[in-house]
Amino acid sequence: MSYMDHFKVPEPLPQLSRKSSIVGLGESDFHSDYQAARAKAPGYEGHTSESLAVIAFERALADSGLKREDIDGLGTNYLYGGPTAEETAAMLGLKPKHIMGPSGGICAGPIPAACNDIAQGKAHTVALIFSVATRSIGRKFGGQTFDGGAPSSYYYHHPWGWSSQAAHWALIWQHYMATYGATEADLASVAVQLRTNAMRNPNAVMQSALTVEKYLESRYVVRPLHLFDLCLVNDGAVCLIIRKAEMAKDLPHVPVDVGGWGHAAVTSNKLHTLVRERLRPQFQEAGRQALAMAGIPLSDVQHFEGYDASTIHLINHIEGHGFVEPGGGLDFCKSGEMDVNGSLPVNMAGGILSGSYMHGWNHVAEIVRQLRHEAGPRQVKDVQTSMFSLAQTDQVHPVIFMRGTQS
Amino acid sequence: MTQTRPNRTLGPGHDDFWAGCAKGELRIQQCDACGGHCWPVVDACEHCGGAELTLRTMSGKGKVVSWCSFVQDYYRGTMPVPYDTIMVELDEGPIFMSNPEGFAYDDITINMPVEVSFIDAEDGAGAFRLPVFRKV
Repeated sequence: MSYMDHFKVPEPLPQLSRKSSIVGLGESDFHSDYQAARAKAPGYEGHTSESLAVIAFERALADSGLKREDIDGLGTNYLYGGPTAEETAAMLGLKPKHIMGPSGGICAGPIPAACNDIAQGKAHTVALIFSVATRSIGRKFGGQTFDGGAPSSYYYHHPWGWSSQAAHWALIWQHYMATYGATEADLASVAVQLRTNAMRNPNAVMQSALTVEKYLESRYVVRPLHLFDLCLVNDGAVCLIIRKAEMAKDLPHVPVDVGGWGHAAVTSNKLHTLVRERLRPQFQEAGRQALAMAGIPLSDVQHFEGYDASTIHLINHIEGHGFVEPGGGLDFCKSGEMDVNGSLPVNMAGGILSGSYMHGWNHVAEIVRQLRHEAGPRQVKDVQTSMFSLAQTDQVHPVIFMRGTQS
Repeated sequence: MTQTRPNRTLGPGHDDFWAGCAKGELRIQQCDACGGHCWPVVDACEHCGGAELTLRTMSGKGKVVSWCSFVQDYYRGTMPVPYDTIMVELDEGPIFMSNPEGFAYDDITINMPVEVSFIDAEDGAGAFRLPVFRKV
């Protein structure tokens, strides 16, 4: 299986829209686990991907109101190593009739794949588990940790000292500043907004206030990007229980329907497309697929959760999908439009910049809380439709969710 | 002075590129079918999938598209930080990631013209010539 094959999604067919719903949500204690890992108190042993998976699954099962034997499908996503799905089933006391194939681990392919499997009758109720002990295992994101298993831009430029995801975002931001006349203080507004959002989420890793001044004083990682432009590294797990929609209407929570999905990848001229076009052709194409499948226009999206690997990449999402014109994203943020009462509330739980580095799974977890109308002080008023958008350096995978109905 | 660098990607196809550098030539694959250039080295054309690729010597001239400076020491001391990198668009079209030689981060402007130069370097596989770029 090639690198790209991991991220393929099923055809975005309109007849699959709203045929599956998220009915259970569980996540580990991102904030307190991070505090404990940093403090390294005597006797603190830390988590493993297995222990985190158990916590998230048990919470999701309790949240769903279902019984253990109702779970007849399982998909596991241990991005940096863990047990097999079969071993996970045994660990959790599950006897699934369907075990999903490997995925990219990040939250892109697994949700559409689970919906497709449910539509094909392979299972009625699938538990999707994502679990990473990223911090505990000392995972690094640059230098010679990357090799031929990654996209070539991650490792090929080693002799010039160029690697890391951060370096991709740094080139984009430098080019953006030169093109639109933006400044570092403009980009700081994105980091500050996400921190503000995180501080309304008790489970977010980061809880201390961030200001533009504090941002500008922070160290560079890859200049022009500062520390606060780059996502966190922390341990954690998320479990989503997805069920056939017609069986999802008499459970404790309002079901969250999977409305549509899409996928588009860069196949050539990667660095040109990434730096100069900021994946706009891919955002446009994948977004078009997802909206067409869901049968709605972009203007119906009332809440957006985008993969904020860096501050500038979140702006790539906002501009790429067409919520604002290219070059307009930072003014949009500075004027408060991405805040909870703005025209497009974005990353309400703090994303991965300030919330939790769950590779997109935490963004979907927040969509579940928002569409259930259970998000407390950061609740987007009366939200009915949310868009999730994951994008790496070379591909885009949006998923649209809608508030369902209970019988 | 020879600079120590992180390891190159070596093997069939890759070695031809570095052999060109040893002769002061910047050689990039061009697809026989569609004429598109491919860099980094590929097994099949990234534009059209064509299997026949021919190494072409580039003019070595280009312009800076973007640039960044590494403060984080991703290579654990192999290269002293901070150091600068530039994304160059060669006149023939392909994008080439490299280092500025004789100028630095604060001197750079977008679309600044540059041309290739070769410096002595070594990595785990031995000595080699590394293509970098000077101001025109």
